[in-house]
Amino acid sequence: MISPVQATGLGKRYGRTWALQDYSIRVPAGRIAALVGPNGAGKTTFLHLAAGLLRPTVGEVRVFGRSPQEHPLLLLDRVGFVAQDTPMYGDFSVADMVRFGRELNSHWDQEAVETRLQRLNIPFDRKIGRLSGGQRSQVALTMALGKRPELLLLDEPVARLDPLARREFMQGLTEAVAENGTSVLLSSHLVADLERVCDYLVIINGGRVQVAGDIDELLAAHRLLVGPRTHEGDRPPGVEVVRAQHAERQSSLWVRGKVSTLPNGWREEPVPLEELVIAYLSVPAAGTLPKPQLEVA
Amino acid sequence: MIWVTWRQHRLEGAWSLLLVAAIVLCLGIVIYEAGHPGCPAGARNADFCLPNNAGGLLAQQIMRFNLVQYGLVVLPALAGAFVGAPLVAREIENSTLRLAWTQGVTRTRWIIAKLSLLFILLMCAAALVGILEVILINSMGSQANHWNWFDQQAPLTVAATAFALALGVASGAVIGRSIPAMAATLIGVVATRFSLAVFARAHYMSPVLFTSHDPNSLNGTLGATPAAWWLDEPSFRDASGQTINQIDALSQIANLSPADAITYLRDHGISIVQYYQPADRFWTFQSIESGILLVLTAALLGFAVYWVTRRVT
Repeated sequence: MISPVQATGLGKRYGRTWALQDYSIRVPAGRIAALVGPNGAGKTTFLHLAAGLLRPTVGEVRVFGRSPQEHPLLLLDRVGFVAQDTPMYGDFSVADMVRFGRELNSHWDQEAVETRLQRLNIPFDRKIGRLSGGQRSQVALTMALGKRPELLLLDEPVARLDPLARREFMQGLTEAVAENGTSVLLSSHLVADLERVCDYLVIINGGRVQVAGDIDELLAAHRLLVGPRTHEGDRPPGVEVVRAQHAERQSSLWVRGKVSTLPNGWREEPVPLEELVIAYLSVPAAGTLPKPQLEVA
Repeated sequence: MIWVTWRQHRLEGAWSLLLVAAIVLCLGIVIYEAGHPGCPAGARNADFCLPNNAGGLLAQQIMRFNLVQYGLVVLPALAGAFVGAPLVAREIENSTLRLAWTQGVTRTRWIIAKLSLLFILLMCAAALVGILEVILINSMGSQANHWNWFDQQAPLTVAATAFALALGVASGAVIGRSIPAMAATLIGVVATRFSLAVFARAHYMSPVLFTSHDPNSLNGTLGATPAAWWLDEPSFRDASGQTINQIDALSQIANLSPADAITYLRDHGISIVQYYQPADRFWTFQSIESGILLVLTAALLGFAVYWVTRRVT
């Protein structure tokens, strides 16, 4: 199956600074993939490259096998994009915004858009500039879904929402995506929200891809080992330490791989997604990437 | 795209309409006053036939501040700054391009649709104002030298509006912020039109040399073509073509009668010369200057489309 978003050796430079460098990822189809990383990791730049808003300095990004920069006509209708802080025309009413979407998109689903906005109790005559943050994000998501996209790119869609609105947004996203089988790539630095909806994780750090993989597989492959204070470099056999933290009497090791025999005095715990992400982000040199896959044309 | 463009820019549209309506009203009053039969010949002021008594109050106010002559020159620049410059710049500074350019319409179609609608509407407005200007200038009759109203003529008004809009859109796209782009547009339009008027216009065609032996030519009213554009002050030349001092020349004929003075100057090979552009070149000059502005417009529009589709991010 052709990947909705695939990058090979992708790099983008602003002046002398590389916003992202040597990006190579392949987002699986029909999944909700999370792009996680600290601020300035290049998440937005990557999404803008995939949406065709930016041109790569080196390498290439392909959306459904085509360059979004060279084939906008073929891709614009198939890709929905919600930019960070959901830019919209503040003096447009919600109804104007819906008409904007209808005028500019050939697969526009007017009925679904109206139904969704009604269900969310968003008044059609309210100006965009006067909506609450949650309503605004929902309108932006509805606009992107109204295109009936095959790929949805969302840049920090919940960053400005309160926890309740965040949960509602994620729920709405999950439902909408389940109906249409849309592939989603969303960026966030709020890891807790991702676990519930995302099934694929990409961690980027310092402009490079650090981890990419199925969330269930990643969770299954990582363990937290807690035991007596060990020396730097000491580790139980058969595992790879991602991150080690040594307190006065106790050591915590976040490890990758199957722990066959646990030494005396050690216990093993599962690693929640948030801790997994933090473990990798705090050790930029660590990384795990999927093994090269054969392209199936 | 037409609805989208209209919805996004209806505020500017309303302001432009209001401005054009105000101009039409003002010019209408001025034209009416100028052609009013009740206007006594003695009450004419400077260029216009205006009654000094009641009725022409508004028109007089406008005249007093030279609003007509100078106001009409800045109109195209205002269109460029207030309508052209924010077109792309405001979308860049509000990040709304990220919304607009990820809909199902390519950037090329997006910018061309916007430019087309904008240009059609503002060209119509400029043409309307231009036609009123022509009527105004013609209503002044022989009292006004058309060359003094060169910048307010219809073709140049339309061409200058197109140029200002194109400069506004291009600078807005490159600068990416509305206010600096507006300032750049105003400065750019004023500088371009000033340079054309002051440095280029006189050289569109080789000037004609007016030659006479009549010292009355010095007062500037003599000459076969009263509506010609005199490019310099009259000066005296001797037989070899050298410029000679005016005071010296005048002192030689100070005590002679006008007829004798002409004979004296002719006999001594002294002539009074002055360069000018003949009246019948007026429309040729309008075409040349409008053409220059339209070529610049086309280049700027091409650049704006290139920049929007390839460079803006």
